[in-house]
Amino acid sequence: MPKKAEEKRMCGNCRYHNAYEYPDKVFCFARFSNREKPVVSIFDSCNEWESKLQECYCLEEALAKRDKNPK
Amino acid sequence: MVERQDFLNIPVVHMKLNSNMTVDQLIQQFKKSGSFGAGRLASACDVFEDMVRDKNCTVFLALAGAMVPAGLRTTIADLIRKRLIDALVSTGANMVHDLIEALGGRHYQGSWLVDDYLLYKYHIYRIYDVFVPEEDFVKTDQALIDMFEEIASKKEGKPLSTNELMSEIGKRLKDPNSIVRSAYESRVPIFLPAMRDSEFAYIHRVHQKRSIKESSLLVDAFKEVPELLDITSRSERLGMVVLGGGVPRNSVQHAALMTGKGLDYAVILTTDRPEPGGLSGSTIEETISWGKVKQKANKVMAIGDALISFPLMTAAVLERLGPGFHRKGNP
Repeated sequence: MPKKAEEKRMCGNCRYHNAYEYPDKVFCFARFSNREKPVVSIFDSCNEWESKLQECYCLEEALAKRDKNPK
Repeated sequence: MVERQDFLNIPVVHMKLNSNMTVDQLIQQFKKSGSFGAGRLASACDVFEDMVRDKNCTVFLALAGAMVPAGLRTTIADLIRKRLIDALVSTGANMVHDLIEALGGRHYQGSWLVDDYLLYKYHIYRIYDVFVPEEDFVKTDQALIDMFEEIASKKEGKPLSTNELMSEIGKRLKDPNSIVRSAYESRVPIFLPAMRDSEFAYIHRVHQKRSIKESSLLVDAFKEVPELLDITSRSERLGMVVLGGGVPRNSVQHAALMTGKGLDYAVILTTDRPEPGGLSGSTIEETISWGKVKQKANKVMAIGDALISFPLMTAAVLERLGPGFHRKGNP
């Protein structure tokens, strides 16, 4: 995993994230359990954020996609 | 006294295949061989045909193994609509995979040779050589949690059986190819004796976390027992087709035993073996010792991949029954 994805606090490297619209959107069961909007951008984060060893590719791919098509 | 000639009555007739033969014609060639898996599959077709032609037989399908994600979903839904199945007893997982597709997800052809850690990194789950994207599970979870909430509010704390829950879910689906939907429309019960050993457990857990304790959905695992026994006790004769084995197979067999009847027909399609002592591989003869299958039952166990044998058997029997065949539901 590239270093930049590990450094920042993002939904995509939080333990609660699941793929929703790979790689850009994640489904957060912590938010869903609290009756908050569960589908969020992979780059978001909230107070429930808990670090997880980043093994999956979603954040890396979303960052690469964003770098390729900056808004 | 059995005489030497008694062992040498029926010769093996070598299979003759041609370019335009039907499935049942192929099965007839299997029957002429009468040997190994081919012979057993031909017998399975005969037993299944007898079972569905018997107007007073209630036909159970016991479904285990990943048959639904691998492609048997529509076959089973069609059999339910034709009432060639009167009651379905399944693993929870098979119904979850039915619901994944009913709610817009898909299963994909993959490979068993893939690097599983790579799949993990891509949020993809593997069932041998079938792949499921994580988002299809997640979207199903989300939809079912919403349904659980709605059903719980309607039931106001009254516990449901697994069959009642499947019916409530079926009512809320639109997909005509769904097993759960077709069962709801055809009033065919679906029992999930090991429901919590599946994604349903996680779905219920999240639903419970989102709900006030008193208002969460209650599913009573034992409530389906009298429901099953009501079916077996009202049935004149009992038949079962088993794909795989496990909890679904024994739930049907045990219901037949508990009503003191025993099964009259049994077709078991499995790859499991009897030597380790597990139920899935246990022979039908072993089942007779318990009184779950009658000694004189019309029965066969065919060892082989049920994803091959079940469609072959079904296609052959549908061909024999013809398009005009109508079966009323039992009991």
